[in-house]
Amino acid sequence: MSGVETQPIRPYDEPFRAERAPFLWLAEREVLRFLNIWQYSIVGPVLSTILFVIVFGSVLGRHVDTTDGVPYGQFIVPGLFAQAIVNVGFFNGTTSLFEARRDKYVNDVFASPLQWWEINAALVTGGIARGVIVGAGVLAIGVPLTHGGVERPLVFVFGTLGVLVVAAQTGVIAGSLAKSLDHVYSMESIILLPLGFLGGIFYSIHQLPHAWAVVSQLNPVFWLVQVERIGLLGSADTSAASALAVVWGLAAVLSVWSAVIFGTNRLKA
Amino acid sequence: MRLPDPIPPALSIKGLRKVYADGFVAVSDLDLQLDDGAFFGLLGPNGAGKTTLIGSVCNIVKPTSGDLTVFGHDYRTREARRLIGLAEQEINVDRFLSVRQLLIYHAGYHGIGRKTAVRRADELLALFRLEDKADGRAYELSGGMQRRLVIARALMHRPRLLILDEPTAGVDVELRAEIWGFISKLNAAGTTILLTTHYLEEAEALCDEIAVLRAGRIMDRGSAASLRDRYEARDISEVYARVIAAEATS
Repeated sequence: MSGVETQPIRPYDEPFRAERAPFLWLAEREVLRFLNIWQYSIVGPVLSTILFVIVFGSVLGRHVDTTDGVPYGQFIVPGLFAQAIVNVGFFNGTTSLFEARRDKYVNDVFASPLQWWEINAALVTGGIARGVIVGAGVLAIGVPLTHGGVERPLVFVFGTLGVLVVAAQTGVIAGSLAKSLDHVYSMESIILLPLGFLGGIFYSIHQLPHAWAVVSQLNPVFWLVQVERIGLLGSADTSAASALAVVWGLAAVLSVWSAVIFGTNRLKA
Repeated sequence: MRLPDPIPPALSIKGLRKVYADGFVAVSDLDLQLDDGAFFGLLGPNGAGKTTLIGSVCNIVKPTSGDLTVFGHDYRTREARRLIGLAEQEINVDRFLSVRQLLIYHAGYHGIGRKTAVRRADELLALFRLEDKADGRAYELSGGMQRRLVIARALMHRPRLLILDEPTAGVDVELRAEIWGFISKLNAAGTTILLTTHYLEEAEALCDEIAVLRAGRIMDRGSAASLRDRYEARDISEVYARVIAAEATS
């Protein structure tokens, strides 16, 4: 072992200047992480969502009347799309951060010049990137299959971005709180799945008794589904403005929560 | 003629205290200063606070109180972080990356461009005889190779202060000698070294200053010769035994 020790010593008084921003490296690593396991991280979620579209939409849909004037197959695509991107956005942040903590390679990141907001932003970027790829896969197959389209592109783009921030940021928060892998996976069955099924993916709240329709609106997933339904189908149970406001409001609250966790060093011993 | 400003201490710790959530006091009002170019050995039994001290300096542990600077920079700044290289006692590597990628992304976190990072990674892989394993995963490597990889990673961004927490734990005699030789050369070339080890005789041979830590406090410090004189001991092992025993009975 010789050679490196003969290189010039680093000056101690130079300001930090990056040849390439550390944030970009960490964000790239986050994307690389899920691309390395693309069978599970991309293909699996797309396939399971499309199966839902085929079974519930195409097969069962033949026996169901239109919902709010829309064929049932088309009606459920926005909700299933929302569920797919919420699931992958959430799990990306949760597993990435939890594994980094468990295996302690997060120490290499904390010890580097990366600042806390860059670490948080890179983790969220990874979740958003995975959500975009999975969402694109779901739409690429699901929309032609149900003869649908994108009725309000602006609402769809801003709404989806908001949904992805909500999902990824929730995942990062969960990843910072989780104490075991069982803890991580139980979040899906205890929290995500019930909220998803009760979030209006398969029905309109106009079909519910008044009290349940009101209760449904307390479920955050309901608003994530609404914004996607307005974007893809043109209308839903709420207005575009209220759906976008709730989704981006949630995104802001979760971002502040995550900032508090990272900014106050709660992930450190 | 104006003299150049003196180089600030490589590491300055004043009043460091760390109390964990369960109330355990790991480090208690600790002061420590390492001059630029020093080879400093931190000795102490398990649980003495060595890893907490290192974790605090490296921004991994949140100190309860105290001031820490690295070459005059607050330890949390990017400037300070870039100047420190850390090889932890535990093998903590990103299992989603290959061995080469581990080194490249580490350099990236320190703001190094891709071309430079790839070149340095290849240099260090060759230096640490890991070229054949470059595309494999770190968890597939033997214990000795993993140890070399963690040290190589700490060197990727050319730190001026290298912190080595038990760098030879679990490695065979030959590799141990090789690592010590390499670290000595790095120090001779100007890199400041902060080392923790349980190999007392090697700390005595390598370090120009040694501190004995117990229960989060520095019990004594000095050159190996001055410590031997002070305790009328034949070697550092004897000094260590007396310092630790004295504390235990006090």
